[in-house]
Order: sequence, then C-alpha cells, then structure tokens
Amino acid sequence: MLRPAPGTGAANVDGMSSTQRPRTLAEALRARGDDALRALLQARPDLLNPVPNDLTQLATRAGTRASVVRALERLDRFTLQTAEALAIAPDDCTYETLRGLMRGDDAEATDAALPHAVDTLRGLALLWGDERLRLIRTARDLLAPAAGAPSPTGLGPTVSEATAAVPHAAGQGRMSPGRLQQLLADAGLPPTHDPVSAVASLTELFQDRERLGAVLAEAPEQAAAVLARLTWGPPYGEVTDVTATQAHIRWLLDRALLLPSGPKNVVLPREVALHLRGGRAHRDTEPTPPPVTPTPHDPQAVDGTAAGQAFAAVRTTEELLKHLELNSPPVLRAGGLSVRDLKRIAATLDVPENLAAFWLELAYAAGLLATDGELDEAYAPTPAYDDWLRLPTQERWTALATAWLAATRTSGLVGGKDAKGRALAALGPELDRSLAPEVRRRVLELLAGLPGGASATPDALLERVRWERPLRGNAGPDSLRADLVRWTVTEAELLGLTGRGALAEHARRLLEAGTPVEAAAATLAPLLPAPLDHVLLQADLTAIAPGPLQPHLAETLNVLADIESKGGATVYRFTPGSVRRALDAGRTAAELHEFLAAHSRTPVPQPLTYLIDDVARRHGRLRVGAASAYVRCDDDALLSELLADRRAAGLGLRRLAPTVLAAQSDPSALLEKLRAMGFAPAAESADGDVLITRADARRTPPRSAPTPVNDGPPTPAATLLGAAVRAIRAGDRASTAVHRPTVPAPATNGLPRSAAAETLATMQAAVLTGESVWIGYVNADGAASQRVIGPVRVEGGFVTAYDHTAEEVRTFALHRITGVAELADDPA
Amino acid sequence: MNNGPLIVQSDKTLLLEVDHPQADACRRAIAPFAELERAPEHIHTYRVTPLGLWNARAAGHDAEQVVDALVAHSRYPVPHALLVDVAETMSRYGRLTIAKHPTHGLVLTSTDRPVLEEILRSKKIIPLVGARIDADTVAVHPSERGQIKQTLLKLGWPAEDLAGYVDGEAHPIELAEDGWALRPYQQQAVEGFWHGGSGVVVLPCGAGKTLVGAGAMATAKATTLILVTNTVSARQWKHELVKRTSLTEDEIGEYSGTKKEIRPVTIATYQVLTTKRKGVYSHLELFDSRDWGLIVYDEVHLLPAPVFKFTADLQARRRLGLTATLVREDGRESDVFSLIGPKRFDAPWKEIEAQGYIAPADCVEVRVNLTDAERLAYATAETEEKYRYCATTATKRKVTEALVAKHMGEQTLVIGQYIDQLDELGEHLNAPVIKGETSNAQREKLFEAFRQGEISVLVVSKVANFSIDLPEATVAIQVSGTFGSRQEEAQRLGRVLRPKADGHEARFYSVVARDTIDQDFAAHRQRFLAEQGYAYRIVDADELLA
Repeated sequence: MLRPAPGTGAANVDGMSSTQRPRTLAEALRARGDDALRALLQARPDLLNPVPNDLTQLATRAGTRASVVRALERLDRFTLQTAEALAIAPDDCTYETLRGLMRGDDAEATDAALPHAVDTLRGLALLWGDERLRLIRTARDLLAPAAGAPSPTGLGPTVSEATAAVPHAAGQGRMSPGRLQQLLADAGLPPTHDPVSAVASLTELFQDRERLGAVLAEAPEQAAAVLARLTWGPPYGEVTDVTATQAHIRWLLDRALLLPSGPKNVVLPREVALHLRGGRAHRDTEPTPPPVTPTPHDPQAVDGTAAGQAFAAVRTTEELLKHLELNSPPVLRAGGLSVRDLKRIAATLDVPENLAAFWLELAYAAGLLATDGELDEAYAPTPAYDDWLRLPTQERWTALATAWLAATRTSGLVGGKDAKGRALAALGPELDRSLAPEVRRRVLELLAGLPGGASATPDALLERVRWERPLRGNAGPDSLRADLVRWTVTEAELLGLTGRGALAEHARRLLEAGTPVEAAAATLAPLLPAPLDHVLLQADLTAIAPGPLQPHLAETLNVLADIESKGGATVYRFTPGSVRRALDAGRTAAELHEFLAAHSRTPVPQPLTYLIDDVARRHGRLRVGAASAYVRCDDDALLSELLADRRAAGLGLRRLAPTVLAAQSDPSALLEKLRAMGFAPAAESADGDVLITRADARRTPPRSAPTPVNDGPPTPAATLLGAAVRAIRAGDRASTAVHRPTVPAPATNGLPRSAAAETLATMQAAVLTGESVWIGYVNADGAASQRVIGPVRVEGGFVTAYDHTAEEVRTFALHRITGVAELADDPA
Repeated sequence: MNNGPLIVQSDKTLLLEVDHPQADACRRAIAPFAELERAPEHIHTYRVTPLGLWNARAAGHDAEQVVDALVAHSRYPVPHALLVDVAETMSRYGRLTIAKHPTHGLVLTSTDRPVLEEILRSKKIIPLVGARIDADTVAVHPSERGQIKQTLLKLGWPAEDLAGYVDGEAHPIELAEDGWALRPYQQQAVEGFWHGGSGVVVLPCGAGKTLVGAGAMATAKATTLILVTNTVSARQWKHELVKRTSLTEDEIGEYSGTKKEIRPVTIATYQVLTTKRKGVYSHLELFDSRDWGLIVYDEVHLLPAPVFKFTADLQARRRLGLTATLVREDGRESDVFSLIGPKRFDAPWKEIEAQGYIAPADCVEVRVNLTDAERLAYATAETEEKYRYCATTATKRKVTEALVAKHMGEQTLVIGQYIDQLDELGEHLNAPVIKGETSNAQREKLFEAFRQGEISVLVVSKVANFSIDLPEATVAIQVSGTFGSRQEEAQRLGRVLRPKADGHEARFYSVVARDTIDQDFAAHRQRFLAEQGYAYRIVDADELLA
C-alpha cells in the first residue's frame, strides 16, 4: 500500500502533474475533471450531504459502507459482475486479468461491454487506477467471499486465506506449519522456512496451469467428480470428518486441492476453482441487457384505448370521491381503512377490492383525499378536490398521472401482511415503498424506448429491470420488484398511460423531461369524448347517455335515476325510489318533466311521465313540509289579523293549523317585515324549522399531498452540483496548498494535539495505509491517556482500531481524541 | 373514435343504437356471441356471457372474430380488460372434448393435461367418469354424458361434444305446404337448430312455434317424442301436425293421464312423466320405448326439474326446445342451455310484429283506486294475504266488468289466478269459467264455441296460460297472476298476439290496485315485455271509463 496524503505527502500531491500516477482514490479524484466530479455527485447524491470539505473527505465518504452499498445497488448486472470479478482478482490487477476473468461465451459482446463497465465503476468512484485496476476496499469487502457470505461468483477463499483459518483442536486458527510442509512435500515441492513462503509456493503451483493440470490429471474419478460439483459453487462441501474420510477426499485434501474449513467442511480454494473454470469468474456473463421485444399495435388504437381508460380513470376517481364526501369512512386506530369499508367502496365502484384500493391510494397520493383531523377521524375529500373538479378532464388526468408516477404509496400491497403478520390496510401506514417510483418510471421509459404503439410483456420488462438493477428490491421470483413491475403494468393500463400494453402518446409527453404537463394534457384532450347534452329515454324506464354527459346533466340524472351500467355510455334506470330521491332533493314534478323533455332526444315515454306523476302524487300526500319560515302564536285571533293584513301579502303566509302560519319568505325577511308592521316577533331557533334535506359534502381542512418517501437524497440539481464541485475544489485547495507542517502543540501533559479535521484526515490515511498512529485520548471520565493504535475503520464519528497499548480492538470516539501524531518507527 | 352504433360497457353489456345506419350489420356481427337482453325502442342491450362465447366457439367462431366485431362497431375504445377476458374465456372451450371411442365407448379427451387433472380432482366429476385410459383420456359413462357436460360447464371448462347423435328410427314426415309455407324466420329457426344439432328456439307467442317443431320433424324424418305442458296443448299439437304435415291421426299417439299410446310420433305431457308411483317415476320407459330420433320440448321454460334429470340421459338424441321466453323464475336458464342446447334462434318480438306475423298489441295497465274501506283492510291484512286481498278487491272486479262492457262484441279473455275471483267474475259477466277442475272435453267445447264466436267472453284460470289456440281473442284482461312472474305475463300477452283476420290491434289490460303490492308485482311482471318493446301505458281507471 502506498502512503496517503496527510503530513509530508500532501505537499507532493499539490504539485502533482497529470502524468504522475495517483496513489489513492482521493488523488485519482483530484486528477479528474470537474465534469467527472459532477457526474459522480449526480450518480451518488448521498456524497453531497453535507457538501464535503475537500476531495480527501469526498473520497473517504465514497468509501463508507452505506454509500458503497447504495452505489452497488444501482449497478447493472454486467457491471456488478465486473465488480465481483475484481473483488476476487488480486488487488491492482490489470485490465487483461479482468478480461480473462470476465470471459464469457460471447467474447465479442464482453469485449464491447467491459470497457464501459470499468468506466462506470470508475465514474462511481468504486474503482480507480488506470493500468492497475483498484476496487475500493469497502466494495471488495462487500463483494469478496467471506465465511458467512458466499460470493455471487461461487468462488471460495484463496489458499492463503483458507490456510489462515483452519480448524484445529483448540478452535479456529492457522494451519500448523508442519501440516503445510507436509502439503508441500505431498505436492512435490521443496520445503520452505516459514508458513508464508509455503503458502506462496502452493499458490504459485496452483496458478501454473500446466503443473496444476498435471496434478489434476491424476485425480481418481470420484475426486474429479467432487471437484466438478464444487467448481461453480457453492465451494463448500460437507464431509463426515475432515481428519478421517474417504480415500478420494483424502487424496484431494492431501494435495491441498480441498482445504478443511471446519470439523466437517471442506472448501475448494479459489485458485483451483479458477483453474477448473478455465479462468472464468462467472459461469455466465451477461454483457448485453435482455431485449424487450416489441409487439406492434396500431398506434391510433393504442392512443384511443388509453384515452378511453384515462377518461374512465378520471370518472372513477370522481365517483369515488363523490361517494366519500357523503359517506366518510372512519380511520382505523392503526391508520387506514377497514376491510369492510373497502368492500363497500369496491361494491359502489363495481370493481374488485384491489382496484378499489388502487383508486383510493391514487386519490390520496394526488392530495384529493385525506383524513379530516376531527376527533372521530374519517376520510373525506380535500378542498383540492373542488379545484380539481373544476379542471377540464385532461388536466384532471395529468394531476392523477403525475401523482401516481411520483408516489411511493403502493396499493398493490393492500390486503397483504407486513413483516409482523398484520394486514396492510388501504390508506394505512406501511404502504410506502421507495422503490416504486423508480420502477414505475423505468418500466414506462422502457416502453417509451420501443417504437410507437408497441407493447412488451411484463416478463420481458421485469427481466430487463432485473438486469439493470440486480441488487435493488432483492432477487427471487416473488420479490417486491417483480410485484412492482406487474403492478406498474396493470396500473398504467388502468390510468390510461398505456393502451393494450403500449405507451400512449400523451403518456410519452408526460415522461419526457422538460416537457410541461400541459403538453400531455393537450395531446390527450382531442382523444377524449366530448360531453353530451342529451340522453335517450326508453319505455322500459331507462335512460341511456351514449357518452359522457355535461356535468350539470349528469348531476341531475344521478339523483333522478339509478345507474345500472357504466362505461363509454351510462344506463340509468328510473324507479319510484330514484324519482322520490329527486323530489326529496327539492325538485318538483314539473321541473323533472321539463328537465327530461329538454334533454331527451326522443319523446318522453308515457310510463315515465306517469311514474313521475304517481310518485309526486304520493310524495305530496304526507306533507313533511317545504316551508321556509313559520309564525306561531297561541292567540289565533292575532294570526287571523295578520293574515288579513294587506301589508303581509308579499310574505306568502298560509295557515297550517289554527295557531300556525307557514311563510314562503325566509325567516329573516319575515321577521323584518313583521317588525315593520308593528308586531314584536321573536325568532325561534332553527330546530323546529324543516328545511329541504340535503346532505353536507364533507371536506378536510386544507391538506397537502403526501410527500413521496424516497430513500436517500434526491438527485441534486445542476446548480447545486456546480456549487458543490466548486466548494470541494476550494476546500481541497485550502487543505493542500496552504499546508502547514504539523506543529506538535506544546504538550501540556504529553498529549499530542492537532486540529479536528487533521485528526480525521490522519486517521483515514492510517486506515488506508494500515499504519499505526499515536493518539491522545480523553475517556468518558475525563482522564487523559496516550495510546498507539492501528485504525481499522473510521465511520460515524468513531474510529475502530487495534489498541497496541491494550492489545485489543477498541472503538474510540473521534471527538475524544485530542490529537494524533505519526509514529517515528513502526511499533512492531 | 369511430362512429359505430355499439357502445361496449365495462360490465360486459353492449348497447346497440337501433336507429344507427350500421345497426343491422352490427347486430349480425354480435348476435353469435352476445345475448339480447333488452330490446326497447332505441337502444338494445346485449350481454356477453361465458356461455354465449362458448356457444359461439361451438358454432365455429373464434376469439379474433369476436374481438373484431366489438372493435369494428364500437363507438368508444373497447376496454382492454374485456377483450382479454373474451379471448381467455373462449380459449377455455375445446380443451376438453367428449368423443366416441372404438373400444371404450364414450371418452373425455383433453389437449391440456393440467385441465384434465384439475377437473378429475373435482368431487362432482369423479362419479361421472370411468377408468383413466391414458394421460389425456378418461372414459365417461355413456349415461352421464349430459351430467358431465353440465358439470364441466359449471366448472368453467365446457366440453366440446363430438360424440354426435343417433339417427333414431326413421319415419317419413313431410310438411304439407299446400297454400302456406314456413315463414322465413321459421325456416331460419329450423335450419339454425338442425345445423347446431340440438338447442332452443325462442319465438314470441303466436309466432308459430309449433310449425318450427313440425319443420324440425320433417327435417329429421325420424320418430319423434314431443313433450308438452298439458293435455289440451297435446291435442292442439296433434291437430296442427295432422293439418300441416304428412302425418295421419294414427301415426300420432297421445301419452297423457287418460291415454297411453306410443306411436311413431308421440306427444306426452310433463305431468304424466313426472308422476311418481310408489316413489318411482313409472313412465320413464317412454323415453326408451322407441329409438327416438328427435325430442321436442314445448314451453321449455316450464320444464319441470325431474325432466332435467331425464334429459341429461338423452344427450345422444337430438333435442329441440321451444319457448317464448327463456326467463325462468327459478333461474335455471343455464341448465336449459347445457342440457337441451344453446339458443339457436331468437328474434325480437317487435321485429316479427313489424313483419306482420304477430298482431300489434296495445298494453295498458289500469290503475284502480281502492275504496277507503278496502285500503284499511289491505293495510291490516296478513303479509301473505296482502296480494290475494288487493288482487281480488271488489273495485277491481267492477273495473273489469266495465272494461268488458267497453269492449262489448270483441272476443275477450279474462285471465286470473284466484278461482273465487274468477267464479265471481264469471257470474257477474255471465260468462263460462275454465279452471283446473273443468274437464278436457268441456274445455275444448268452450274453446271451440269461443273460436266460433258463439260466446265472446271467457274467464280462464292459469290452466289456459299456455298453448291454447284462441285465434280471435282480441282483448285480454288480466286481473291477477302468479305474483311477479314475468314469463306468465309474456304467455298471457301471447294470447292476443296471434294475427287477427282484420289485422286490427289487440289489447292487453292489466287491472292493478293502486298503491298496493299488486302494483309492485305488476311493475315486475311488465319488465320483460317492456324490454321486448311492449311498453305499457298506465291509465287511471276513472279516466279510462269516463
């Protein structure tokens, strides 16, 4: 390992020319152009939080475990395979070595894709070095095979790793030197002085194709079969007992072709496996993404179908919210909607429950539905719903579609169980999946990449998404991502983003970066059916609207008739109940006749006329009351007087009973008028007054739409990126150009002193170089001490280090370290 | 968006605008797979059902044709889910076939092994099949051919029946078309039936269903078993067959309560077939008494449940069902389809009326105001007595009498449910009453007198609901019925739909007590006819008689 920057090294770096080879990731980054840095920060936005002081800090942060995991998750399969190959290759291997490891069945495709994969890794700061490729250590640790985590390559530990951890009577430990020499002798190698050179000698043998080939050629048949079974992994095999076992296993163990890895386990060393694999790190490499095969459709039919569905989506949402404004379902104590309410809503919408959940979540994500915050909390439309209602259909659609694209709410999960076995309720907690928007957008983008009007199967889309992000959302057939792809395909169809599985033109506009949503709305608008102003009335007491109706017409009909069938057209049925409902809502029979005559293309059928009259006749029989004010008085003579008074003519007074008058004018006007006439009326509370019944539509207080819960920071904007790069550069210059040699602070009590930033930098450098440093440390009780430590990891404000003073691994809080100084000589 | 006449709804109903120029083409395109559900004046409603789609497959249509028909005529984009569903449903048909096997008799074969495995695990299938012959084939007990088809249909895997039909014992039958001929739609019905092998023909009352039966017999030229509802109807079939075909009186036997004749053509009543003696159906041997080449079921919507069972055993014989309406109050329409066969022909009533083959009818619901005393009595009546009470009130009787008087001189039928009411009406109108206890001879005598115009008013109970031929009845007055039975209403209207000699309009009155359950039942009863385009006018009794 090369020595890192702080101290004397930093001065050199500052004046480093571009021809000089970088010695650390920080130096490699420093040598990159601003554009490359910008690309790095764009791809790994978590590095920007907060903006690093200089490139050393940036490089350190890029090497933290969490950040590397995040970056690895975003690699496509081939790039990941490349990284995996690098992880099992010797450190600082050449491109040619890597190429050998990555050799697949299709050499041409591999050669074409490999440079790009290496560039990608380099761009993400997971890899540095030009001729010698260096995978950063955290990535290597994550990807390389370890005892508990088998490598995706199926390769086991190297000979030296395996011999370093061999079981013996007292537990794990190194293979005894005697045993090693025995192995050398068995392999026909000259004995060596120490275990290290013995291992090197063995490794050398295994890396020599000819010599190892000769050894393997002599393998008994059964032994060869064992090797064949372990070649492609998993490399671990189980035996009854490593010390006393069958002849063929013995044969392998004697030649170190298998090494013991536990009392009953053996492992195939990496060198041998690679030899058996012909040098390949992977059985199959996938240099090219799986194709998304297009199935062509007529683009017009696609757009038409999608537009039809878009219209249906808007209508369904409206219907749902119309229903909810009158029937606010309560919020469960644990949050969300009860199954019974969901069933009820599904029945109202005439859709299965999972679809009902989808529409609910859509309305919620779009901010049209929320909890009302009352004591008995319930769901109700928000004021935004009223604004939304006023928009033309196409804009209502874009509002829904954009909300869906960005939403992390995942309705597909509704009805399933969470990790603790609790049912997931619609609108409830635990439905946010940060992966959802990413998958949605990617699936639609893949569709957008196909020729116009072409669709692709969900399986092909899933394969592709899997290839692009093999680590995201887990692997496995029933993983979240597979579900998300499937849900995306069905939901996009439901929303009218796709028609017959192909992306519609208006959806394409919506996906294009830089195109305003209005453009999508404008593309959709001409495809939507124009609202009609008429219906067809039939003698079987149905009315058929052969298309969408104008809002006021639809509103009246919804009251006057029951909806029997929905779709492009609407079938309404008049029943005594529905007509009575209209009368209850304050309509008169005459109004209804007039309404039907005005909006029917055909003559109003006699049975319908009769029905309305008949219901109206009965409706009037029991007079519940349509008076807007009344006058009550115990003295009926006074009421007679009032009735007879000419000035009261305009009030429309009518005697209901000897002591009660009903008035047509409203109470305030009545009061005013009576006072003007010289009476002294008192207003009665509204309790006794029967008004026309009309349910109040509920609204929540103003509510904003839920913020999508993305993991990690958002992709930074260009300006932020530029600023960040400038800031890092400046900081870097400051820390490197104006370098002051470390002046050990006057040691008041012998403790080294240094600035916090410098402490950190030195620590990080020590981690990279593996050197030990001298620190001053103040423990929790305030007692100061000096220690010599070998830092292993610096993370989250703590240094994990081997404490030479205490001879054990300890964790030190960075803020308790008073200062750090390099050791004059290696303590060992 | 094209401008087609069809609107495809998401609930799988199809709305057809009949006044649209392309309506006819569209109707022809969707008829093979969609059931006409409602046919009022402007927009007809069809429904796409799995059964309809499978029948279309059986008739040689494929999913692509269905999808094309929908897409080509639809005004708005067809919901994709519906198209997918159509394709999926149609693909279920034909994976199982029932065929004859040279050594194993009848076998069920599958082209899709998992389907066979699935259905063989069904408890309902296990008793119907025999030994497994190979991975894709299983033997079927020949006697269970109908049962297994019915069960498979319910399981959603309809079997294609390729086992064919037995020809039966040949018997020469010709239509005697002297001075008359089968009407075009009757011809089409016969052809549709024969082409399909078995099935149901739906024609309005009075449209000549008997002749469709005769036509089918003349095509089959084989011994025929005809099942009818009652003896009177049996006699009329016989009469009609003698008149319209080459068959003579001697060739036609009657198998009823009184006679037990078995001839080349035998007409049996449902009643005699379903009579049990000592717990067994003693007349079942009739089915096996001859090698019948054709079995005709008259009024198939009334087919009693036991006959379903017998029919299941007759799958190898050609079966023709005749009816005016497939509305069954017991909801067993699908049993009719699976056991007798799919609907092979139907025509909207109004269409046949337009062609002049049935008389136009003016349907009027007369609303009667009950007196205060009657209303009070009604309000306090027991729930189960309410209908009887309001349907038989004196006020209704008086209005009925007034109506009869108003149509003095016209051939008038008064139809009712309650014998007391009918007797009372007969007394007041001075008209003979035909009810269950009236002997067949007496009935025929009265019908003949009515036909001849010797008597002009006849009061009938529900025994006369079906298959009586009263050509000159021009006015029918319905005073009470079997609650809300829609098919009864259709049958009763049929009484006056036979074409009149002078071509004048028939009248059908329903006298209904206002604001009672009678009115609700009437609305229910009328729904089928309203959906057939026979819209009722509703008139107040006072207004009508003023």
